[in-house]
Amino acid sequence: MTELRRYYDEIEVGEEYESPGRTITETDIVLFAGLSGDYNVLHTDAELMKTSIFGERIAHGLLGLAIQSGLFSRSTRAYAALSFTSLRWKFKAPIKIGDTIRLRARVLAKRETDKPDRGVVTLARTVVNQRGEVVQEGETDVLVERKSA
Amino acid sequence: MIPAHGTYFEDIDVGDEALTPAMTLTEAHAALYRGLTGEVGGDPGAIPDLLPLCLSTGLGWRFARPPLVVLAFMGLDWTIHRPLRVGDTVHSRARAAVKRSMRDAGVVIQTHDIVDQHGDVAQGGRFTFLVAKRGTAPA
Repeated sequence: MTELRRYYDEIEVGEEYESPGRTITETDIVLFAGLSGDYNVLHTDAELMKTSIFGERIAHGLLGLAIQSGLFSRSTRAYAALSFTSLRWKFKAPIKIGDTIRLRARVLAKRETDKPDRGVVTLARTVVNQRGEVVQEGETDVLVERKSA
Repeated sequence: MIPAHGTYFEDIDVGDEALTPAMTLTEAHAALYRGLTGEVGGDPGAIPDLLPLCLSTGLGWRFARPPLVVLAFMGLDWTIHRPLRVGDTVHSRARAAVKRSMRDAGVVIQTHDIVDQHGDVAQGGRFTFLVAKRGTAPA
């Protein structure tokens, strides 16, 4: 049987992935507000936001971050990932209702840990919209299993 | 126009700490989160890694202090110390760490920790916000 997940040892620095697009809807924002409890007017008051610099409601930054994480799983064969360990992230531009975002990711570095069964893979991630503008970007460290000999 | 009811840049003192009420993480939280984000996961008892981070700002809406008048969420640094499971009960502890005044607004860096029922920090990091000043409508 083919192994479906990719182990630390099989991942190479410089690999690049691109996800399918995903259109962000009003429903996504309403659901995220309900789930998180973050009802900031930026995301929930259409009338007030008409008068803001954005001109309309924008998606929660953390919604974009969470969705790009989901898009990662659709952009390459799954890592044998144990968990995220850390992330460094910048919100560069708003995601508006109807925008279609996709993830571009590149393996920046690999690092062994003091445990022989796992290693850290650092990915550079860029979230772009339908116009190719970068809306979010950052680096994530993911703990990935090593293949047992 | 910005809302009258809110915590503005001038209202924040460096060192201010806020503890939110706690919330028990359930299978419903995990299932809603996975459905919304497309995060895959085989273990129904696991809490997705980024879910507690996503709850951290919203937990701050659960107590009486007026919400921070955020003009933009600029960035974050976050570390996940250990996994959380369905049934764990978390609250958020936020502290204003840095304030930097700019012409029409100000930058506020907050430290946030997600703390479980044993008092252990499961995740934590720093958020950088652009916050409105009183009386200065954003351009």
